[in-house]
Amino acid sequence: MKNWMMGAALAALATASPAFAADVTLQLKWVTQAQFAGYYVARDKGFYDDEGIDVDILAGGPDISPTQVMAGGGADVTVDWMPSALAAREKGLPLVNIAQPFKSSGMMLTCLKESGITSPEDFKGKTLGVWFGGNEYPFLSWMSTLGIPTDGSEGGVTVLKQGFNVDPLLQKQAACISTMTYNEYWQIIDAGISPDDLVTFKYEDEGVATLEDGLYVLEDNLKDPAFKEKMVKFVRASMKGWKWAEENPDEAAEIVLDNDMTGAQTEEHQKRMMAEVAKLTAGSNGALDPADYDRTVEVLMNGGSDPVITKKPEGAYTLEITNEALE
Amino acid sequence: MSVLICAIVFWIAAIALNSFIAARWPERRWARYFVPALFGVTLLVLWEGIVRGFGVSQVILPAPSLIAERFAASTGVLWIDFRQTILKGALSGYIMGCAAAFVVAVLVDRSRFLERGLMPVGNFLAALPIVGIAPIFVMWFGFDWQSKAAVVIVTVFFPVLVNMVAGLKATDPLQRDLMRTYGASYMQTLVKMRLPAALPFLFNGLKIATTLALIGAIVAEFFGSPTRGMGFRISTAVGQLDMALVWSEITVAALAGTGFYGLIALVEKGLTFWHPSQRG
Repeated sequence: MKNWMMGAALAALATASPAFAADVTLQLKWVTQAQFAGYYVARDKGFYDDEGIDVDILAGGPDISPTQVMAGGGADVTVDWMPSALAAREKGLPLVNIAQPFKSSGMMLTCLKESGITSPEDFKGKTLGVWFGGNEYPFLSWMSTLGIPTDGSEGGVTVLKQGFNVDPLLQKQAACISTMTYNEYWQIIDAGISPDDLVTFKYEDEGVATLEDGLYVLEDNLKDPAFKEKMVKFVRASMKGWKWAEENPDEAAEIVLDNDMTGAQTEEHQKRMMAEVAKLTAGSNGALDPADYDRTVEVLMNGGSDPVITKKPEGAYTLEITNEALE
Repeated sequence: MSVLICAIVFWIAAIALNSFIAARWPERRWARYFVPALFGVTLLVLWEGIVRGFGVSQVILPAPSLIAERFAASTGVLWIDFRQTILKGALSGYIMGCAAAFVVAVLVDRSRFLERGLMPVGNFLAALPIVGIAPIFVMWFGFDWQSKAAVVIVTVFFPVLVNMVAGLKATDPLQRDLMRTYGASYMQTLVKMRLPAALPFLFNGLKIATTLALIGAIVAEFFGSPTRGMGFRISTAVGQLDMALVWSEITVAALAGTGFYGLIALVEKGLTFWHPSQRG
């Protein structure tokens, strides 16, 4: 009995910690899809092998919080949005941005035209669908910039915790829902609603865009030269993967589909997603632009009575890795 | 590390004290409450000691003292969530689900035809996973507590139904024949003999349903909710790494579940005092 228990415990340990097997474990923010094409391309095209590193890519999902995986030591590096990473940093989890493959934000609110919304001023009194789990920060910052309360008080908006689908809009339970240019927007279109019946508000156009899909590691790990070297190799190969994906979007989408163990993704959707994602990664060589970082921090600090972060973060990003990787 | 050593010393002292009391005053009423209470306190002290002693990150497991602090600071939020999830979602669903199961059980008992038709349907309902029905109910009944109550109705219906049907079969033919010789009608037999005899079975189902109702209401909120409720808070606070708040909500859920179960058990004690299981 005892031996059997020990065996079971060891087996559980072995399956629970792939980190021992690979040099670098990457935790994605979401499920396997073209949003992360660069990493899958880098692995399948052998860019990681060329650098001499073995990379393990862990898919995320609606019940996986990248920051929590990092806190638990389940991954070396994670893809996360800056608002969530900075909020985690303030909560005592010292995440540091080492690279920023996404130049622009793909987030937007998509509204039904029939709701009569033509400008952000019209949100008042309406019901809006918002993602939570760390993705609510950009929205909350935007609303406080507009001076619209989100706590259900007079003259404010009613917020719904939107599941990761577009049903609330299709069911007309909400006037607007959160969408990404490369994913949920197209799910609405696929559901048979014409783009003419929709009004979209891109966070980029509203001047409240925050950086998405950066690479984050724990601060303490950066003190270790061996870890830094690994990260330099990882970032260099990943950016090669991203640029290859931008130039060959259709093939990149195929590679993503090959890596999708769930079989949930369709070819049409992934090719479209890759084309949209390529627009967001264009203009970034992987290095974080401090001006973008400053803008993100400013948007988050504008949280009015309930800011996402209360003080300016210190040391939340480093350019060392990308400087070395992109020489 | 000294914190950990203190905690271990406390643990050993508590074991010694509890053993002493249990040996010396095994029959005293105060001892019966004191011994388990001290055990509970010891668990908390050990938790605190281990978390602080080994420097476990607060994101992984916050210390009980931190949770207590957060609990005290956010009683307002916790109350709003409690009202939304327990009072509106779980309780209303529980009452509707149990009442429906009770009525269906009496009907099923009355007619063989209904039994053969309805029991498989009840069984089918019981086999539906919450994660499958919750999003559908959100579509049907909206984001607010109504959809959570619907999930609760589906989860509590079957255990109460099965227990109640078994309870109505609990009288033996000799007793039923006796009622016939008294000239009792179906209704009289049901109210005066068979329902009281079924009570222990019914309460068994009702007690199982209490915890199912809480779990159903909380989990259903993961699939779309307004910005309040225990399930909403647990799922969003994890994303914000506010683990102390998550644990505070878990504390509320545990207390509510224990209280709810205790309440049903108390009512049972009052109503089925005649049953052998109640002789203590």
